[in-house]
Amino acid sequence: MLLELEGIQKRFGGVVALRRGDLRANAGEVHLLLGENGAGKSTLMKIVAGMVQPDGGVMRWQGRAVSFRRPSEAAAIGIAMVHQESLLAPHLTVAENIFLGREDRRALGWVNRRKMTEQAARLIEEHHFPLQADWRVERLSPAGKQLVEICRAIWHGSSLLIFDEPTSSLSEAETREVFRIVRTLRDRNIGVIYITHRLEELRAVGDRVTILRDGETVHTGALAELSTEEIIRHMVGRELEAVYHREPLPPGEELLRVEGLNRRGVLHDISFHLRAGEIVGLAGLVGAGRTELCRVLFGLDPADGGRIWVAGKEVHIRSPREAVAAGLALIPEDRQRNGLAVLLPVAHNLTHARLEAVSPRGILDHSRERRAAAELIARLRIRAESWRQLAGKLSGGNQQKVVVGKWLFSRARVFLFDEPARGIDVGAKGEVFRIMDELARSGAALLMVSSELPELIQVADRILVMRQGRLVAELPRGSTQEEIMRHAMLEQEASIREPGS
Amino acid sequence: MIQRLLPSLSLVILFVGLSLASPYFLTKTNLASVVRQTAVINVMALGMTMVIIAGGIDLSVGAILAMAGLLGTMAMERGYPIPAGIAIGILVGLFWGLINGLLITRLNIAPFIVTLGTLGIVRGLTLIISNGLPVHRIPQEFSYLGEGNLLGVPFVLWILVVCAAVTHFLLEHTRLGRYAFAIGSNPEAALYAGIPVAFHTTAVYAICGLLTGLAGMIEASRLMTGQPTAGQGYELQVIAAVVIGGGSLRGGEGSVIGTLIGAFIMGLLSNGSDLLGISPYLQQAIIGAVIILAVTVDELRKRKLAR
Repeated sequence: MLLELEGIQKRFGGVVALRRGDLRANAGEVHLLLGENGAGKSTLMKIVAGMVQPDGGVMRWQGRAVSFRRPSEAAAIGIAMVHQESLLAPHLTVAENIFLGREDRRALGWVNRRKMTEQAARLIEEHHFPLQADWRVERLSPAGKQLVEICRAIWHGSSLLIFDEPTSSLSEAETREVFRIVRTLRDRNIGVIYITHRLEELRAVGDRVTILRDGETVHTGALAELSTEEIIRHMVGRELEAVYHREPLPPGEELLRVEGLNRRGVLHDISFHLRAGEIVGLAGLVGAGRTELCRVLFGLDPADGGRIWVAGKEVHIRSPREAVAAGLALIPEDRQRNGLAVLLPVAHNLTHARLEAVSPRGILDHSRERRAAAELIARLRIRAESWRQLAGKLSGGNQQKVVVGKWLFSRARVFLFDEPARGIDVGAKGEVFRIMDELARSGAALLMVSSELPELIQVADRILVMRQGRLVAELPRGSTQEEIMRHAMLEQEASIREPGS
Repeated sequence: MIQRLLPSLSLVILFVGLSLASPYFLTKTNLASVVRQTAVINVMALGMTMVIIAGGIDLSVGAILAMAGLLGTMAMERGYPIPAGIAIGILVGLFWGLINGLLITRLNIAPFIVTLGTLGIVRGLTLIISNGLPVHRIPQEFSYLGEGNLLGVPFVLWILVVCAAVTHFLLEHTRLGRYAFAIGSNPEAALYAGIPVAFHTTAVYAICGLLTGLAGMIEASRLMTGQPTAGQGYELQVIAAVVIGGGSLRGGEGSVIGTLIGAFIMGLLSNGSDLLGISPYLQQAIIGAVIILAVTVDELRKRKLAR
């Protein structure tokens, strides 16, 4: 037994994050930690890694009671955490990051750079990681950065590695690579705790599983003894909602037509169209150019060529402002960073994209704005205390709804959804898809970028597949994951480096 | 809640404390002089509030104040009427505010760097234009702006009230103000929402420059000179007033009321130290400590909120 947690408690202010966190992790075993958003998984692991101090409960390391006041104390006895967001120094090389804080110093504190790079290269080779010791970390993809963190943990002799949703920003191929690495670690008798949201990942890596619900451990046991339905039941405490099913609509008029869109090194000769009432999926590996396509369409990056029509009228979009005016909406992948002003009230966020409508001659009409906000809050069933609540205080699913609401208010008709369901829990996902369906029914055209194939298959009317900046296939409803992956991956190795870097 | 009220509470405590500690504090002459002394910082701080809310910073305000005061008084020296001189000072401020805004948005350079640069340029140009010499031959009536009384209170108080009311209206009741909050709170999201970020950012710096120009004329009127070296270090006092009043240098937060309170706290601290015979050297240290204290309290409040 490596690590034993018993009755761990933690509250933040008035909010109870953990009531009774129990967990036992063994060496040479991958222990899955599951639960919906807000179930307390991350808090429990931050306690183990010494980043947060518990209010109660017992933590034992190899049978001995321990407590950590800071992450370095946890690291010293062999616990390392691979973070969701990378905590690396972006301007340093892979090797420098691996040795950060424990550089091999020569006399007078000179760092022996060559020896360090050699050692790092050996470590990378030994584990068959697709990395180079002298690459700069800022140029790596999220997967590459995680590998660097893993290297760091291995080098520092950690015996327990915690992965906090390692695959949430990775493509399928990269995900498989992470799984391979996790299995290698396990075979070397290292203990792994693996937090995830993605149910389809479980069987690929897990041995044992602990499920948290509302800050309490509700189940612990061998993974093989649990069916996926049982796992979900434990997580949500109710029966699994029927897999999302969407009735396709007869498509209406063409709302977006793109012909020969080019952006040097990123997009090559992209042509497609969207019709009213349609949800079109956009599949592809990370780096295939899906987000880049959305950015060019929305005027965030300039195109080098190609023509765009919105609702039959040719448009020239050079800025997001012109995109918004043309009736386009972008719901970006990173909502906190690109979609919301978290410090501002929900109502203000909702009206930002068409403030003119509630500010005749530049003067705000507060009552009209509130009425508009109240209407959107009700229509989208946004769970907010009031229009005044700060957007940052809402849950991920409700933040997503605010972003959608903003575009409803701007009267957009073409919606570009970049990973709409990423980072939100199972229940909220269903609701996001329901909203997308309602948008389609009200006559909008939707483009949905997603790395989750089951999601695409359930929601989209047809699926476009991109590979290396090109549209390579269009698949009808009812296509299988295998078909999509075949088009997305053909002739392509897992790319750890971002294109163009 | 108590933490949110802390700035106003400290102002009240400071006021009551000084009333008890010094018999001279609560006299009309002294209070009027506090108002006059803080007016310049206060007017500049209103513009800085908008800039800071929009996620920016303006280090050049002290230098702009000096150039506005100098060119305004030089115009009067050459025989222009007083209102024309004042208008010239304000326009000088507006001009440099525009330049700041345009450089920041067109060249996409951090406001800290741009305004550090214009601080040097404007201060240097002011010294070149004046040859380092102050302007003294100014019509006597000009002193009314900074030293006169209207309806029994200092004229500058009326100016301050009007400027504060207008700034408050701009921030809370116009599209410009709403966009300033949006841009400061999350510039990326503002861009994604199709907000004309560059235009409104420029506008905010221009307004800050305009108010600084006005402050420059008030300062010149109080000194009855066009002083090329005026306003050195004012930028820090102005930023301090905004920050003590709850403005966040990360953008998206701040208010006119808060800034006024912040500026008056600093004014009372310095006036109180004078009355109680505390050395001006120590005064600086006290104000420095108050800035750190104010930001710490505000930061703790936000951290509690964030949980």
